[in-house]
Amino acid sequence: MKKFLSLLIITAISTGLWAQTKPATGTTAADSLMNAMNKSETKNEPVIATFKSTRLILGSTTETVKKKNLNFLVIHRFGDFAGSQGGGKTFFGLDNSSDIYIGFEYGISNNLDVEFGRSKFAQQIDLGLKYAVLHQTSDNSSPVAITLLGKAGVKAYTDDVAFQTFGDRFAYVGQAIIARKFSSAFSLQISPTFVRHNSVFPYVAGNEKDMFALGVAGRLKVTKRLGIVVDYAHPFSSFRSNATGADAFYDPLGVGLEIETGGHVFTIVFSNAKAITESNYLSNTQSDWGKGQFRLGFTISRMFSFSPKEKKNDKY
Amino acid sequence: MKYIGIILLAWLSIQNQAGQDLYACKNVKIDLFSSAPIEDIKASSTSGTSVYNATTGDIAFSVPISSFQFRKSRMQEHFNENYMESDKYPRASFKGKVQEHVDVTKNGTYPVTVTGNLDVHGVTQPRTVHGTLTIANGTISMASEFMVKCVDHKIDIPRLVFRNIAESIKMNVSATYTAASKPNPNNKLP
Repeated sequence: MKKFLSLLIITAISTGLWAQTKPATGTTAADSLMNAMNKSETKNEPVIATFKSTRLILGSTTETVKKKNLNFLVIHRFGDFAGSQGGGKTFFGLDNSSDIYIGFEYGISNNLDVEFGRSKFAQQIDLGLKYAVLHQTSDNSSPVAITLLGKAGVKAYTDDVAFQTFGDRFAYVGQAIIARKFSSAFSLQISPTFVRHNSVFPYVAGNEKDMFALGVAGRLKVTKRLGIVVDYAHPFSSFRSNATGADAFYDPLGVGLEIETGGHVFTIVFSNAKAITESNYLSNTQSDWGKGQFRLGFTISRMFSFSPKEKKNDKY
Repeated sequence: MKYIGIILLAWLSIQNQAGQDLYACKNVKIDLFSSAPIEDIKASSTSGTSVYNATTGDIAFSVPISSFQFRKSRMQEHFNENYMESDKYPRASFKGKVQEHVDVTKNGTYPVTVTGNLDVHGVTQPRTVHGTLTIANGTISMASEFMVKCVDHKIDIPRLVFRNIAESIKMNVSATYTAASKPNPNNKLP
């Protein structure tokens, strides 16, 4: 009986409440219906635009070129800004070019692209594949994005005693790039890398053919279209860390500004690395920031779309 | 006791349904279009949702910004990342009231005026939008075309690229509704 009474009371109260809020019930019901319909899909959205371009300064980012898009890259490194090779007499290095890279990257699918590039440094020609294995998601079920990069390079023309057979001219890079977009302004990535030279590079006794390296790079947006970028790499090589004096090696470090203008991404950088492609700058950076052996450089990335064209003003 | 519970539940659900004439659409088609000197910008989404209360005239729309599909993937990325900031403002919505009373039992095409608030990019603007309501044998469909000015919703267009982007965007919205007789999931009876 008590239960029955309490039920009766609850009923009475709920009726009362319902009667009082009657005009609002319509919107409430509509609102709850609206919320129910909208709930389902906002969960597993992939996080986009972790980086604006496929390159930061030195290394590649987790971004791949999307299907039927072609990314055209021009990357330039000038000569030493200061030090014995720089200063006023070379107009702070602008008279010289330590490396020039022309690259094409074409999207086979939204997660896979093929890359081709030619460097002035060692006249190396690179061919690579880049595959986005995992995308970061907005609900953090996947907290990071992972992209794999494989590259083979050949120094086809350098006349060097190091190369006894044509096979000696090949170098390979395997890289796992792990990135997280912490906020719309800040993204960070680390890239464990394996580098293999069939013939040691540079050709010095004691140098290793195989080595590991770790890259760390990040971007902090200042405005929506302007960001500060930093890119650093450390090769794990006892030969390199033991070399001293004039033969010493230094970890490549680049700092720069990234500017986006609709179709282009420009990056203006200072970097001590002379070379642009991974197998070269990780193995062969012997210039020191402290001695003024850093250089001005830039990257221009231009995206072309080859998806079928729509006629102007059709339908509308 | 069981009986009382069942009767109570049944009665409550009837109470809640009384006076409701709710219609819902889960695949509202929304197109955006702008003509600019260099190239037209066009995108569409079919993931919009809408609820229409035929009794009170209340109408609501909502669409996830990231559901808009562009032909150029880079354009889509810029739309989300630079212009709409879809990570901060994931949805655009409209909530308003149909000014005319439309009898949904009578077939026909009715021009309607909807007054309400349009929320795009986190900025809410009062708007009056014209459209048509078509009723054909119990099926309600709605179509509207209106303009959205980027500046009204604080969508910045940088001076460097403004020639590529128009300052106002034409929106086309169309929805076909089905009756949603049980609006409250708690009221579902076995």
